[in-house]
Amino acid sequence: MPDLATKRPGLLAREVIMRAKRADFAPIVRDLCASAIDAATGAGAEYADARVVLKRNQLVATKNGRVERLSDSESEGIGVRVLVNGAWGFACDRRLTADGARDAAVRACTFARAAAGNHSRALTAIEPQTGKHRSAMERDPFDVSLSDKVDLCLRADEALTGRDIVVRQAMVRAQREYKLLLTSEGTDVEQELIECGAGIDCAASGDGVFQLRSYPSAHVGSSCQSGWEYVEGLDLVGEAPRVAEQAAALVRADECPSGLTTVVLDADQVALQVHESVGHPTELDRIYGMEASYAGTSFLKPTDLGSLRYGSEHMNITADATTSGGLGSFAFDDEGVPAARVPVVEGGLLTGFLTSRETAARIGSGKGGSMRADGWNRMPLVRMTNLHLEPGEGALDDLLADVDDGIYMETNRSWSIDDKRLNFQFGTQIAWEINGGKLGRMLRDATYTGITPQFWGSLDAVAGPDSWRLYGLTNCGKGQPGQSAHVSHGAAPARFRNVQVGVKS
Amino acid sequence: MKAMDVAKAALAVVDGEAEAVAHVERSGLARFADSEIHQPTLIENVVVTLRVVRDSRSGVATTNKVDDAGLAELARRAADAAESAPADGTFPGLGPATEPPVVEGDDEETARLGPDDQARLAAAAIEAAGPLPAFGFFTSAVTELAVASSTGLAVKQRMTDASALVVAADEGRSGYAEQTAWRAGAVDPAAVGNAAAAKAEKTAGSTEIEPGTYGAVLEPYALADLIEYFAHDSFGALGLLEERSYLSGRLGQQVFDKKISIADDSLDPRGLPKAFDFEGTPKQRVQLIENGVARGVVWDRETAAQAADGAQSTGHAPPPDSRDWGPLPYALSIAPGEAESVEELAELVGDGIYITRLHYLGVVHPREGVITGMTRDGTFRIRNGKIAEPLLNLRFTVAVPELLHEVYGLTRSVQLVNSQNFYGERYPYGVLAPAVACAKFALTGVGSKPGI
Repeated sequence: MPDLATKRPGLLAREVIMRAKRADFAPIVRDLCASAIDAATGAGAEYADARVVLKRNQLVATKNGRVERLSDSESEGIGVRVLVNGAWGFACDRRLTADGARDAAVRACTFARAAAGNHSRALTAIEPQTGKHRSAMERDPFDVSLSDKVDLCLRADEALTGRDIVVRQAMVRAQREYKLLLTSEGTDVEQELIECGAGIDCAASGDGVFQLRSYPSAHVGSSCQSGWEYVEGLDLVGEAPRVAEQAAALVRADECPSGLTTVVLDADQVALQVHESVGHPTELDRIYGMEASYAGTSFLKPTDLGSLRYGSEHMNITADATTSGGLGSFAFDDEGVPAARVPVVEGGLLTGFLTSRETAARIGSGKGGSMRADGWNRMPLVRMTNLHLEPGEGALDDLLADVDDGIYMETNRSWSIDDKRLNFQFGTQIAWEINGGKLGRMLRDATYTGITPQFWGSLDAVAGPDSWRLYGLTNCGKGQPGQSAHVSHGAAPARFRNVQVGVKS
Repeated sequence: MKAMDVAKAALAVVDGEAEAVAHVERSGLARFADSEIHQPTLIENVVVTLRVVRDSRSGVATTNKVDDAGLAELARRAADAAESAPADGTFPGLGPATEPPVVEGDDEETARLGPDDQARLAAAAIEAAGPLPAFGFFTSAVTELAVASSTGLAVKQRMTDASALVVAADEGRSGYAEQTAWRAGAVDPAAVGNAAAAKAEKTAGSTEIEPGTYGAVLEPYALADLIEYFAHDSFGALGLLEERSYLSGRLGQQVFDKKISIADDSLDPRGLPKAFDFEGTPKQRVQLIENGVARGVVWDRETAAQAADGAQSTGHAPPPDSRDWGPLPYALSIAPGEAESVEELAELVGDGIYITRLHYLGVVHPREGVITGMTRDGTFRIRNGKIAEPLLNLRFTVAVPELLHEVYGLTRSVQLVNSQNFYGERYPYGVLAPAVACAKFALTGVGSKPGI
């Protein structure tokens, strides 16, 4: 493959990229990746991959009527991963030049050689892949002016004004990530992933009580791989008065009582429950202890596949990198494995893990497909793609109707789970009593706790497809150095019996 | 490439008011699992954040493309952002030219460490863990920060840092140890591996304990983690202004036991020293809690202007991508006590639990300082004043003010506990903490056994 940057000494490939149209710069970055692969194999790597990533982010955030954040950031570079004598090495360079590419490759090989041990890491075989992919969208969020984004946030912020409201916040964000991956096995894939999101939050305070309310989700709103139409569809301004009224009402609401009871969770909280208690423990790198020094391990063992009862027969979990709009959607992961839809739990039985090529080879099944890196300067890790709780039937009212006495909880406020992903405790922003199948008085400071398989074993209903929503999280942390992944979860309201609620300090 | 050169080059392409923050990083992290290095990562990057101001409107853009064309594009995007913003009556203006204090924190030997060294030091930690599988890392870095603005402000600092961390673990056993310093020579990876393995050996055969409230000894790792989470809501000016801080309405009041004093002190050479913040304001030592009395919070220029009550920045503006939290204490320092050892603290507790470290904390109620989480890698029963049998990992849900309401004692020695998880651009920070013995630690559940 010709090395364009080498043929133009002194000319930064990026300068060419900046002047070129998108269709033109792929050959340039492809040549840089090829330079890196050549340098790595020349330095003794038995396997090498090179990823060029160009990422741009916009964030507009307002608070109490003033613009708090108005930022537009970009980052680009090349990351090179190598296997030398069975040991991994990774290095990166922000320079999109032939020198930068080669330097990164050589340093990656140096680090791999220095990694003492009896390495014998192997990758499961895949056919070399080629292809291009771009997120589907109607309106590019970067075509929407910053002024319009500021205006939307300020209108939503203003609409949150109300009694006892001490903090009003609105946020919109957009991200474009272009990446091109080449491997020494012949894979050559190019992708452009575009996402945007938005959210509003407010805080009410009175008599020493401080309460939060958010929409459409807590923790930086919700995002989707989509165009600006996703943000418009959220109707932040229209939802704001309800959010503010609920926050103010929470200040005067009774505390959630303690005890064992039936809990119905809204789809947003179910999404986080899936993330923490199903997504992370089924990551095969955690199961093999590769995250033991930070994020933790898993209560699952490799031998549990196909035999462990994870939950009730109502529990069906799917990892789906093909979900339309999912933040974990792609055509190829960062090892070049094509996107797939994989069952993880079927009828309550554990049937799948989230894998890389290395962990799939080690367990002797699957072919990877869950590897993603947080930009050009991080190594790919096993990450959730889009992990869904498949819908059941009926609506929220049907779930409530079969509860004489229980609690309905909505929108996450706090979360914590142990290093094996067994013992968890979640809090929600708002809750209501359920009496005789109907919602009763509002409750504040609701929490629930449990042990993962027992909790999922107590699942006795999931609402149907009409109640199923996709929630996009942008703050999933893992790895050392730390990496933040974007992942979506589809979920519907779900009902759990005999749950401990109202944990007191 | 020097951070100040990048900052000044970015400023040079702006016509008018602007501030540039440049960050240069060269780091290596040799991560290992099951006693083999599995994720070795070398990073070299230069990032510049430009804030352009048009009257009182400001916009921010960031890039790592620092040649002429990249900086021109950066200036265009920052100006576009500024022009998209409405006027902000509380904008305090850019920071004035200042003379930051001279601090330590830069060690040439640490700056010189390369991948061979990082791998060698990781291997030393692994070897010292002995037959127990080791999980962790050795990392070192040199970072440079510069802030320059059209007001004539021009401050810079080079920082080094190194850390070794080991979880020594197998089925049913695990122990933890970590050391961090700005001099790699002050970090002993073999001692870290040894300590983690020694702790793990004691955790075999862990048993359950009934949830309830117990007296407890918390090692520095656990206390640092808990106070840092509490600090996010309670020790920053934004939390105070937004009424989510436990200190809201309590400044000047006795909030903790008299034995507890907490400061934020970036100037302390025992920590990871900093001379100025991300607005270029010189760092000040801030007394947060003095003999149990709430004394103050940390401020940046923005929150000081919002308060409009004469408050001044204390030099605690956070990195540009962490502004949502407002000013934060990045150099917490918990005053020591008189105890010579954790064993002496266990004697003070008599009957209770001993906690090495915590995992996955979550703030349940910010205003009340209620935090939940799990213990991990070394939880024990204290019986008759002695550290006794190992326990399963335990869930706790504690109100920090309640926990620190009755303190039996603290150790005389303090340890620098690393707080950064190396997300984004590297900015070394940590907590100086002793071990503590306290009367009330609320256990609310039982989790898994130690180990992997």
